Amino acid sequence: MALSRESIIHDLNRIFAENFEIEDPDPDENLSQAYEFDSIDAIELLVEIEKILGFKLTQEEKKQAVEIRTINQICDYMEGLAEDRA
Amino acid sequence: MAEGSSAGQVLPGYGAVKPAFDIGVTIAAWIYYTLGYLLFFAPLYVAAALFASDRQEAFQRLNHRFYRIFFRLLLKITPGLSLEVPADIRAIRSAVVVSNHISYLDPVLLISLFPKHSTIVKGALFNIPFFGRMLKMSGYIPSSAEKNPDLVIRGMENLPRFFGTGGTLFIFPEGTRSRSREIRPFNKGAFKIAKRQNVPIQILFIRNTDRLYRPDRFWFDTCVENRITVERIGELLPETGASVSEQMARVRRQMERAGGNNHQNHCSNNSYGVL
Repeated sequence: MALSRESIIHDLNRIFAENFEIEDPDPDENLSQAYEFDSIDAIELLVEIEKILGFKLTQEEKKQAVEIRTINQICDYMEGLAEDRA
Repeated sequence: MAEGSSAGQVLPGYGAVKPAFDIGVTIAAWIYYTLGYLLFFAPLYVAAALFASDRQEAFQRLNHRFYRIFFRLLLKITPGLSLEVPADIRAIRSAVVVSNHISYLDPVLLISLFPKHSTIVKGALFNIPFFGRMLKMSGYIPSSAEKNPDLVIRGMENLPRFFGTGGTLFIFPEGTRSRSREIRPFNKGAFKIAKRQNVPIQILFIRNTDRLYRPDRFWFDTCVENRITVERIGELLPETGASVSEQMARVRRQMERAGGNNHQNHCSNNSYGVL
């Protein structure tokens, strides 16, 4: 499944605004430090990522997301998942 | 401004025996906590682990029974101690319960009120041998995913079913005890969960657990007039559509108001000494 970086960022910005009350986060900013983005948000984000990618993530794939800190890292993570399942 | 807990006036006739009661009640509580668990509850937990169809709920109900008996024991053997919990609080279901936090007894007290419950616990506690295992088996959720990602993911994913079957998730938004009784800064977790799961927030206010088990003392403080109360001071319904920040501000206002009332009530009651 091909996903452009731009479309991922566009989707993430929408999700962050609608779900987490975070407007236009800086792509390299540490989400936890800058916006108090925590584990609860991360789980919610994984649900949204599953919707964008169109498939369910495995527990192992979800656990990898725990290390993510920035929007750019989320993009890398999503691109990696899409490539693995392609 | 709310003030910290302080020693109350010793009950008439108990002056000479108070130290003995303090030590005796504390030892009795610890004996129940250790031997009572091993002799009476450990077999039930083993049975639940082996045979229960819903192991987490079975553990939660056993925890509830264990701590309900713990409080009954304390009420029985502690001169001057009483507990007031309105029936409508015990009837809370399918909600996030937030409360002020003034004593180690607070989580124990809330577990004793809600048979089907869960809570968010400091992540480090899950790594304590045996105790951590009990937390996991009870379905409690670590506050951080860094060391226990599986538990956090599973815990959060189970929440829709948990709330859908009447579960009560209690959380102390201050994260840790307030020794001064002032309401400390809130974490957002409780409010985010309530919003995402579309369940109400029930706001409770606990008083005087810190007078029974004081932060600066090992022994229970007995033989003083001490009424522990749990009051429902408000609720936030999901239909209001308030943001997480707005919800936090509202809950803080209500807790601070209740804390102020708490202070006034005690100041007007001269049997409580210098609270």
